[in-house]
Amino acid sequence: MFSGASDSWKKTKKNITQKENRKNVVQKKKTRITKKDKALDNDKFEEKADEADFFCTAIPNPVRRQYCHGMQTRTWTRPDRTVRVHVRDFFMSGTICKLLLEPVNELSKKSPKHWNDNDLMNDNDLMPIIKLLAGMGEETTMMELALGSPHPQLVNFANTTYAWVFNGHDRKHYEFKQYKKGLKAAEQILKKYPEHGETLAMKGLFLNHMERKEEAHEFVRKGLRFDLTSHICWHVFGLLHRSDKNYGEALKCYTQALKYDKDNLQILQDYSLLQIQMRNYEAFNESRLRLLKLRYNNQRYWIGLAISYHLLENYESAEKVLKAYEDTLKEKPGPMNFENSEMLLYHNLIIEESGNFEKALEHLEFIKEDICDIRSWKEKRALFLLKLKRYPEAEEAYRDLISVNPDCYNYYDGLLSSAFMISSNELSSEQREQVLDICQELAAKYQRSNLIKRLPLQYAVDERFKLEVDKYMQEALRKGVPSLFVNLKKLYVDPVKEIIVEKLVEEYLQNLKTNKSFTKSSIGDEIEPPTAFLWALYLLAQHYDNKRDTMKALKFIDEAIEHTPTLVELYMTKGRILKHGGDLSKAMKVMDEARELDLQDRFINSKCTKYMLRNDQPKEAIKTIGLFTRGDAPDPLTDLMDMQCMWYALEEGECYRRQNNYGKALKRFHQIEKHFADITDDQFDFHTYCLRKVTLRAYLSMLRLEDQLRSHSYYFRAAQNAIEIYLYINDNPKIVDEAAKKAKSKAKKAALKEAKNVTPAKEDHSKKKAQDDDPEGEKLLKVEDPLDEAFKFLQPLQTLASQRIETQLLGFEYYIRKKKYLLALKALKRAYNIDKENPILHVNIIQFKLKVSMLEKENSDQRDPTRNPTEYQAIFKVVDTELPTILPYENSLQAYNEEFLARNKGSLPHLLACSNVLLQLNPESKQEAANILMNSVEDEFLNTRSLKNCVSVYEQLRDKLNSSKAEEFKNKCKEWFSISTYFHDLKKSVG
Amino acid sequence: MGAPTKETAAENVAIENCETNKGSDMVTSKTIKSNKTLKRTTVHRIALGEITPNNLGQLKKLNTVLFPVQYSEKFYKDVLEVGEFARFAYFNDCCVGAVCCRKEPLKETNQGINSDQAKLYIMTLGVLAPYRNLGIGTKLLEHILQHATSTTQHPKFVEIYLHVQTSNEEALNFYKKYDFEVVATVEGYYKKISPSDAYVLSRKL
Repeated sequence: MFSGASDSWKKTKKNITQKENRKNVVQKKKTRITKKDKALDNDKFEEKADEADFFCTAIPNPVRRQYCHGMQTRTWTRPDRTVRVHVRDFFMSGTICKLLLEPVNELSKKSPKHWNDNDLMNDNDLMPIIKLLAGMGEETTMMELALGSPHPQLVNFANTTYAWVFNGHDRKHYEFKQYKKGLKAAEQILKKYPEHGETLAMKGLFLNHMERKEEAHEFVRKGLRFDLTSHICWHVFGLLHRSDKNYGEALKCYTQALKYDKDNLQILQDYSLLQIQMRNYEAFNESRLRLLKLRYNNQRYWIGLAISYHLLENYESAEKVLKAYEDTLKEKPGPMNFENSEMLLYHNLIIEESGNFEKALEHLEFIKEDICDIRSWKEKRALFLLKLKRYPEAEEAYRDLISVNPDCYNYYDGLLSSAFMISSNELSSEQREQVLDICQELAAKYQRSNLIKRLPLQYAVDERFKLEVDKYMQEALRKGVPSLFVNLKKLYVDPVKEIIVEKLVEEYLQNLKTNKSFTKSSIGDEIEPPTAFLWALYLLAQHYDNKRDTMKALKFIDEAIEHTPTLVELYMTKGRILKHGGDLSKAMKVMDEARELDLQDRFINSKCTKYMLRNDQPKEAIKTIGLFTRGDAPDPLTDLMDMQCMWYALEEGECYRRQNNYGKALKRFHQIEKHFADITDDQFDFHTYCLRKVTLRAYLSMLRLEDQLRSHSYYFRAAQNAIEIYLYINDNPKIVDEAAKKAKSKAKKAALKEAKNVTPAKEDHSKKKAQDDDPEGEKLLKVEDPLDEAFKFLQPLQTLASQRIETQLLGFEYYIRKKKYLLALKALKRAYNIDKENPILHVNIIQFKLKVSMLEKENSDQRDPTRNPTEYQAIFKVVDTELPTILPYENSLQAYNEEFLARNKGSLPHLLACSNVLLQLNPESKQEAANILMNSVEDEFLNTRSLKNCVSVYEQLRDKLNSSKAEEFKNKCKEWFSISTYFHDLKKSVG
Repeated sequence: MGAPTKETAAENVAIENCETNKGSDMVTSKTIKSNKTLKRTTVHRIALGEITPNNLGQLKKLNTVLFPVQYSEKFYKDVLEVGEFARFAYFNDCCVGAVCCRKEPLKETNQGINSDQAKLYIMTLGVLAPYRNLGIGTKLLEHILQHATSTTQHPKFVEIYLHVQTSNEEALNFYKKYDFEVVATVEGYYKKISPSDAYVLSRKL
């Protein structure tokens, strides 16, 4: 293959230069086109892609030879508008006139003034040259051209003479008109030759650009049927699919097109774009290699090939390609050449990823002079030194970086790692002391750095921590830093630190109240400003809210609001406290109060909207968010969709789900799926753009991001919701009909309303386009198989978020409903490996076990689905060997359940799971299950006694167990959650 | 003298005692002499800011806390029109006080209405309780006085005046320091609070 070929490459390169020289001579003789044109090199190829679009077709000859000569004369007077097009596929299959799709496509990539002979020249000088006038004045639309070499040649086909006609235009101004003309020309030909495949295909392409998609498909298909061996037809079909973002199909078409014209540069190029889009790395590599072989004098093709090897993790070849290219550069680019710098850094990245840091460092030093991005260079150098365990040098490198930016966490991390020669989170207590010394030294040096002030808090413990945090908090409270708590919260992983903070701030509060100082006796002349007291109150409120001590948090925040009632932050925090306490309605009201304090604050407006949705007020919410959406959008929702505003869709979807409006909820979750699909599609343009601009490192990281895109938490949440809804629909198919009924009556009402206020027809028309044909999401509800729909959301999670236990648990729910027992078992095993104590997993394992046991007992013909008995035997066999790894058989299931409970003492979710299992094992044991749940009132459950958990327990008692204990438990909850509207019967459900 | 309508009645109850804070230099200067009743605060930034439709909510909050009178929508509408004569005061970036004035034409002069001259009426001036004695009220009043006497001001203000509840010693002392004088007493000026009488304080410009 490729490796070891660099010698022959050098030879090739030599050839290129020779050839180029020769070509230049030829051109000079032939055309005398301005020097400027010649200098234009192919790199600038697609620079002006947007400016012009050209289409060509053949029409019965309207051009007289004389006229053509006249044109030629004119071209000399306006050299910038003269173009030579080399028609490679002049005669395909002998006599049939061809559409000049390929050269035209190439040309369309650049503006007419950038065209030159090089563009489409190939070595065969016998080929005719077409001269084309790319516009005569502002509005030239149709351009006749002469066929050159030496005289214009007209094509005679079936007793009619044809000349080539190009349609060209400035896309910005004449787009519509031009497609129309192209269409007309095509239709003219079709009148005489209705079965000419390529013209039919072209007609389809024009139609596609004119938003007549369906017809477009029809014509392209028809064209293809008449001319199955035409690469043009296939290419057009591929283009059509591509514009529909149907990349898989497009790929197939390109494969076909290449079959009939294997060295077509344009098709190959497009082909490779699709391959990288589809992440078909092997094939991508092949195409890039072919492209380079066809065009070895262009940087893009070299880099493209290097990338393709890189993606295949063939670092050696990737590097060789880049090296070969760099070596053949005749003269070194200037010192501040950004593109060259990026290419070299990319080269370095390849070496780094190959794992050879020694070599990477060496290379880094070698390219130092040519690098523009000094910061990246320094970061890489420090990293390599650290990886190579050259600690003193690494330390120095990181100190240098810190002096550039003393607020970058990674630099400190690197510094500490190199200073102590181990990863910064494995430090001994002695080393931690030393870290504090380093911090002190740096803090003195970089007084404006916020990070260096915070860093000691992470490493100090006990008394030293108290000292440091005391200093840190005093300064922040004095200054007024609203985000102080967010910074402190991270330290709470150590409960000792949490207590220290709490104690200190409580003290501050007392002292500030009595003598306006953080300490008991004020030192010196100065007193603290009243804002210090305010921020201390604010901090404490957040602190207690974090501990879910709602009443105490409320007390402090109310005091703060009384102190300074104009501060938006205070109301926002109050809203949050109320939300956590379970009073969503009041939380919403307080958020609205906050919003009214500052109407131009988008953040608080969005927060308020979210709280409205949490409180199940979607109408209010859309009104509120509408204050900040674009005014010219037909309605806020459309604008939010255009802007890919996902948090809103998520919250609204969940809101509808709580209200049992599943159609609308699904609508929102599908919307999020669409946003993610769009983001995936959007990368398509970057495959060419990044190669051209040589932003290669960014390009690589973008490709990697796209690969992981759906692991984003927004997608996860949307998918989880959608899957759960589909599973629910699957289990309760009735709701679909009910929803349909509801929607019908609603539609009737709406129709009646509309009939009353008849709107003018004009307005109607403009609105129609934006209107959704399924605003209530009915179509999404009425699916053939909800499970199939669920799987569409599940699949990306399985590939991209397999490490989240929810993925596996959802997978189990799906497979068990699909009656795919082995896959269900696999999901359980995976979940077990992530967290074997997960309470839901515990229930699922038992459920699975019972299900399989039941199947085993049944007669083979009763089993659902009906499978071959031997098949079932095979399943049972696998289960027999695999299930014990996650469910030991030694004990009875009851005993196993009790063990599970004993292992997870004091956890409400586990208690709930245990009572659930008990009920599964013996449906009669409701009493016992209820008794178990009532244990939750004991103090040992304090840590897991969240509102959400208690609601689950209560609902289990009330609904599933029909227990008389439910009321008793509820009364307890009333005490625990004194402002929760759920337990105080103010509202039906809780978020 | 055009007495204000009751609902837009002037309130100047929440005025700080400025006995120890002389002049605006205390805002920035560090050389203020230490005093037994007042020490300099460690962080001390005072700034004034515009009142706009977007932050009007904050003015409403302030007024409900500071003054025992409910203000009408008209009050808030007018506030947006007077430009420099309505300002928020910020202490360490928190909004803690405000001043709102109204321009009034001169009436009943010998020549009829004089369009070149006018009066300025301070409708409200107040600072939240925890933030008093920090020079914030001074800053607000000085801002008003400075703009009222500005040479580019048209029409020219000849007088600045306001109402103060007769029992509000704090406020009276504050204004007297700035050469305001009691020129009249309006009986029953306040409807719902006691004492219901108000002094009219005025200063010629």
